Amino acid sequence: MNSTKNTKPEGNVVEASELTKKFGESAAVDAVNMQVPYGTIFGFVGPSGCGKTTTVRLLTGVYAPTSGQVRVLGKNPVAFSKEDREKIGYLIQHFVLYPELTVWENLNFAASFYGVNPFRRGHLRKLLDFVELRKDSNKRASQLSGGMQRRLSLAATLVHNPPLLFLDEPTTGIDPILRQKFWDYFKELQKQGHTLFITTQYVGEAAYCDLVGVMYQGKLLMVETPENLRRKAFGGDVISVRTTEGIRYDNRQRIEKLPFVRGKVKILSDQEIDVITDEASTAMPLLVEDLNAQRLNIESIEQKSVPFDDVFVKLIEQEKVRDV
Amino acid sequence: MFKFFTRIFSFLNKELAEIFRQPALIVLLVLGPFLLMFLFGLGYPDENRTLRTIFVLEDQNVPPQELKLFTESINPTIAETQIEQNKANALARLARNQADLVIVVPAHAVETIQSNQKATFLIYHNEVDPFQIAYIYSIGNIYVNEVNRRILESATEQGQGSAGDLQTSLEDAIAKTQAIRQTIPPGDSGTATQVDDLLKSLNDVHDKLRQFRSMSSAVLVNPFTSDISGITPKQFGPTDFFAPAVIVLLMQHLSITLASLSIVRERRSGIMELFRVSPLTAFEILLGKFLTYLFFELILAAIISALIVGVLGIPMFGNWWHYGLAVFILLFTSLGLGFLISLISETDTQAVQYSMLLLLASIFFSGFLLDLRLMWKPIGVLAWSLPATYGIRMLQDIMLRGAPIPLLIFSGLALIGIAIFVIDWLLLRKRIEVQYSST
Repeated sequence: MNSTKNTKPEGNVVEASELTKKFGESAAVDAVNMQVPYGTIFGFVGPSGCGKTTTVRLLTGVYAPTSGQVRVLGKNPVAFSKEDREKIGYLIQHFVLYPELTVWENLNFAASFYGVNPFRRGHLRKLLDFVELRKDSNKRASQLSGGMQRRLSLAATLVHNPPLLFLDEPTTGIDPILRQKFWDYFKELQKQGHTLFITTQYVGEAAYCDLVGVMYQGKLLMVETPENLRRKAFGGDVISVRTTEGIRYDNRQRIEKLPFVRGKVKILSDQEIDVITDEASTAMPLLVEDLNAQRLNIESIEQKSVPFDDVFVKLIEQEKVRDV
Repeated sequence: MFKFFTRIFSFLNKELAEIFRQPALIVLLVLGPFLLMFLFGLGYPDENRTLRTIFVLEDQNVPPQELKLFTESINPTIAETQIEQNKANALARLARNQADLVIVVPAHAVETIQSNQKATFLIYHNEVDPFQIAYIYSIGNIYVNEVNRRILESATEQGQGSAGDLQTSLEDAIAKTQAIRQTIPPGDSGTATQVDDLLKSLNDVHDKLRQFRSMSSAVLVNPFTSDISGITPKQFGPTDFFAPAVIVLLMQHLSITLASLSIVRERRSGIMELFRVSPLTAFEILLGKFLTYLFFELILAAIISALIVGVLGIPMFGNWWHYGLAVFILLFTSLGLGFLISLISETDTQAVQYSMLLLLASIFFSGFLLDLRLMWKPIGVLAWSLPATYGIRMLQDIMLRGAPIPLLIFSGLALIGIAIFVIDWLLLRKRIEVQYSST
């Protein structure tokens, strides 16, 4: 598949400031601020109904904001020209192509309405290779599995080789193996120079993104790298320690008094604790030194990669506490 | 500009592929109308309906067999005649649908007429269809007029016979008067003049009697007759007459149905959101769809017309180019109406209901069933807002009268078509434009 012809510009492809969309009195998107740099994979994570799709619609110019500002590709999406629209690929949450048409016909239709050159057979074949649908090109869309339909939709989104892709829950409803494959596609697209704005309700997918926006009840709680998200959720890096003998109360108190340790030590068992530190890489040698000084025999010590599900739950809990 | 055409023609491939994916639909669309017309032609031969008739003879003086022969010689539509003596029995049989008509022959008709009164044939039917009732009225009138005519003819012939005797007596009187005239002395000029006047009067009466006798009784009774001729190239049967209207109704309905489902389905599937984000404009979508369906339906109309004219032998006296132009503008306007339905409907079911309503309106108000000239003028506005009304007028003129395309009708339909296209465009633009509304 061809890489996007546009050289990667500096700055942000998406900039939103106090972006708000209300339906009646209820705000589906509430004062969202964010910047998405060119060439990144921006994950937009949040539970179903939290305002992800509405945000995408605001960014693609489907909806006009109730208040606030938004710039995509340096322009207000509401005033996009045809040329601007040709630079955008939009994957809708559910399958919207034509079930009675074949894979090839659907892709060819999408290419036509984006005004792609009629001599495009080679290009379409490469796209079908990319999404691994080449051998199914004569199958009707109605005969495809859910995953294949998503791949066809993705191919239709890429058909005009747009530098900016908005993918609204592209992995919803498909099995974990295929989800992994989709993320491989996305990484490949990023390598080719595309910017991807991906919404997902699978918070674990945040790990694949360069930047993650966490959305909850219409509010964007934060935009961070995946690692920083973990830190924010738990107040720092988590180091997991396992010893050969029991860790006593006085041992734990001493650890908690170390300058690089934050908060209380979490007891997982008699011989296992989680310690939250500012920066795991610098804290770990110092922690080992202290544990040795306390004559505790270390069986294992490692930076704990907390599942994003836990990170997300923690962040939401913090948000609820803040609201209260 | 190149991309503009690429985008427009994207719909050509897509829509045609969707249609041709349903071969059964194509067969139905082509063969359906043809078979309908074929069956219609078979079902309605160009013959009048015969009426099974019961005569009620309460007057025993009329010989039943003579009445039967007399009646069937008068009007062949009064057939399978039966005789009943009792009126109540006859009416009961009429109610049981064992007869179509009961004619009660007036009892003592001769005496009634001789007493300077009219004798009345009582005619009963059991119809509810106003057209059939009108038909029976007309048959009843024809029957009674024919009876009256035959009686008058018979009376006239009798009069002419009597006039022969009178003529002989008159000739005798003239001869005797001439003899008297010979005996009048030459000096008696007063008497001579009186006899000459008498002779002149007698001769006048004689001439008139001779003329009366020499004339046919049929001419005397019915001196005027009528001879009606159409200036159309042919006398048309019901199938011929209805064929253009059926073509129009089918093409209009097909256009409206296809177009009305087209956009509403896309709106419901969600692809409109994709169009909204893409470089496609409302004008390109609409034009693409219009051109696709026009292309498909023109081919369909050509096949159906060729089958109807070529195989069923429906007359086509006009110019095929004019016919094509009329069908084109009919399809264009009907598609516009279909897209309008598609844009105002929220569901497929709603769109189908609107299409069916339009079909019903077209059957009742387009002149398909009833002549538009019978319509109350204000309702005529509704009639002339339907493409079928214009289409039927144009196709009947072209196919049956051999006339050129009626320009006023054509222009009227074209104007409506363009206006609807503009409305469709504005509505679609509203549908795919940015949503500012906060609700």
